[in-house]
Amino acid sequence: MSAVVVALVWRQFICKACGLIYDEAEGDADSGLAPGTRFDDIPDDWACPLCGVTKADFEPHDAQPMPRRAVSAAVRTNARRGDAGIVIVGAGRAGWQMVQALRELDAHVAITIVSACAADLYDKPTLSVACARELASAQLVREGAAQAALRLRVRLLAHTHAVSVDARSRQLRTTRGTLRYRQLVLAHGAAPRPVDVLPADLCWRINDLVAYQRLRGALGVQRRHVVIVGAGLVGSELANDLALEGHGVTLLDVQPRPLAAQLPALASQRLVEAWRGLPLRFVGGVQVAGVMRFEGMVCVTTTCGQSFEADQVIAATGLLPEGALARRAGLAVDEGGIKVDTATLRRATRISMRLAIAPASKAVRSASSNRSRARRRRSPARSSATAPFASRRKPCHCV
Amino acid sequence: MSAVLDNPVNAPATTADAMLAEVRRIADGALAELAEDIDRGVYPKSVLMRLGEVGAYRAHLALGGSDPDYGAAIQAIIEVSRVCGATGFMMWCHDVCGLYMEASGNPALTGRALEDHAAARTLGATGMSNPMKTFAGIETLLLRARPVDGGFVVNGTLPWVSNLGPDHYFGAVASVETPVENAVGGEAAPREIMFIVRCGAASVELRECPSFSAMEGTNTWGVRLTDHFIGAVDLVADPVRPFIGRIRAAFILLQCGMGLGVAQGAIDSMWTVERQLGHVNEHLDDRPDDLQAELDALTARTMALARTPFGTDNAFLIDVLDARAHASELALRAAQSALLHQGARGYLMSSPVQRRVRESHFVAIVTPAIKHLRKEIARLSEPVMPA
Repeated sequence: MSAVVVALVWRQFICKACGLIYDEAEGDADSGLAPGTRFDDIPDDWACPLCGVTKADFEPHDAQPMPRRAVSAAVRTNARRGDAGIVIVGAGRAGWQMVQALRELDAHVAITIVSACAADLYDKPTLSVACARELASAQLVREGAAQAALRLRVRLLAHTHAVSVDARSRQLRTTRGTLRYRQLVLAHGAAPRPVDVLPADLCWRINDLVAYQRLRGALGVQRRHVVIVGAGLVGSELANDLALEGHGVTLLDVQPRPLAAQLPALASQRLVEAWRGLPLRFVGGVQVAGVMRFEGMVCVTTTCGQSFEADQVIAATGLLPEGALARRAGLAVDEGGIKVDTATLRRATRISMRLAIAPASKAVRSASSNRSRARRRRSPARSSATAPFASRRKPCHCV
Repeated sequence: MSAVLDNPVNAPATTADAMLAEVRRIADGALAELAEDIDRGVYPKSVLMRLGEVGAYRAHLALGGSDPDYGAAIQAIIEVSRVCGATGFMMWCHDVCGLYMEASGNPALTGRALEDHAAARTLGATGMSNPMKTFAGIETLLLRARPVDGGFVVNGTLPWVSNLGPDHYFGAVASVETPVENAVGGEAAPREIMFIVRCGAASVELRECPSFSAMEGTNTWGVRLTDHFIGAVDLVADPVRPFIGRIRAAFILLQCGMGLGVAQGAIDSMWTVERQLGHVNEHLDDRPDDLQAELDALTARTMALARTPFGTDNAFLIDVLDARAHASELALRAAQSALLHQGARGYLMSSPVQRRVRESHFVAIVTPAIKHLRKEIARLSEPVMPA
């Protein structure tokens, strides 16, 4: 029974170059292939009747069409032409706070948020203290992006990169289409500072949830050895956190003591003492010369000739503001970010765009105070490294 | 030779401005007359060669010690595409073939051969759509090369290659089959070669293509290679990927000229009806003054990028890809709006306005299409992380 049924199933093959479908049931009369000619029985010199490529350039075709997707109320898969309202680039703390602040001011204004990642809401400071707070990777998300978008009635373009700004015609160009904005808010924050001797394909940079989750995935459930370069706030917290979980950690810094820029010498000393009970070794006063892969491990060498082998290497060497988008929007940008008048937070030279700095600074203030609250909630007993988050503050900029 | 010297019109224009003035003269004269026929299938060989005589294809090359001027090369394509998108496209085909030859460093493809090419005494083209999509992870290579004594033997079919003729040539890429005896332990890294295919060879068959909705005069053929031998004289690059990395931005920058030119042609046609129809056209979305300002800004951006055509860093490449995508989007919007501005007269089969709508579709779908550009920008924008 089944053998008979199988024999009667005609298959289809699609041309990878032009999309022509060869249907075994129909054959190809122009090439002398009678209806019912199996694809396997077609001579090798047969050519696609439409574009001429060979039989080898066909692949099996699934004639079943994809189920049609209904449009979601909030989460969009691409940009829609026309007015996108206020467009916010970046769905980190600052971006979502901006949405919240705008919604409080105006229940109806159209808001679109453009995010390179999934745009889920989470507290970035928790990434370096998740183990201490016994948070599994999945628990770090406070609210899913789709739910937040519905709640705040914003249109969300997730996994979408903002590419450039045409300020004169008020267009934001993205990898899912071009948006026309009324006001544009740049809240995309900063990116890890590239360091030549710490190549990105060998060294983790923990600046967002995705990188953190991938690092956790790479560490797996076994105890590993991790080298962390940079004993500033993030490096020290991560070292502390991973050691609490049982991983062996070597923390390197050019300074002779951890948190040298944040703490007085005595406090650094107490920190090192507090770490004695953990599988955590601080090596100060060393400069990384290079990182290389070696027999399944990653090897960090220093200019003074030491070498440290690890399963994973993390570079915690600071952030740089993302200036490319602002620069393409015609704003003056330097290493510190967008140039503004320090008294008014307005940019110095006017260009033909509307400014909306005030709500942004409100969002920043609000975001900063939330961070402070988040800090205060931490358990001092399980968190060894404490310092204000000033270094991570990223104002959002409105254009 | 003396005839050439006696007749300055036939000599290559000495400066970019002089060259562009000549290009404009050809575009507004002989080309404008032919444009409708080109749309329906006439190949404008004489116009293409004439453009070579005035130096349109040598601006971007460093021939005779001159500095490459990508801005001028792009501007020449703009001037032509403004009148006929199909011819602008063929200029690009010929220009990038010159780029392959020059960047190859192969003595057989530079020197005299490149001089002939730059002057359009010989005509070239490009079959790089499939490799470009392959390197972006969208397709797989259609041509396969087998190493033999003194070179390679190539087999396979490229579905459509433009600007071809029995005595033309084009750049192509094939994957190199690893000989069985060398394939020890796992998969070898993919290897490709890039080479020039000469259409006149017996092992090269030009096959008729189905009809396209526009630009039928581009001499577009399917090319089947059967045991086609590639020797050292026709080799452009081995390995290919670093070579493509070097010329990629230049390849895409030159293409921007097509979109910018088609958009300009569309805006021009809006102004021609403004006096008569402006009082109704003012209710349309995309008006010519707005489009012109956007086009001018994009042209300035493209020209700035064209000053460093061989940049390879990510941010620069993203900028180039985005400028190309913007040119496509603007050409689509401008051509569409021009039809709305002109109304029924633009809808006549003899009107360049409806022809330009179809040309703008081509600009948007030819490799790299808008969707390819965005996918590639997204890929380049993703942060690199340990595996």
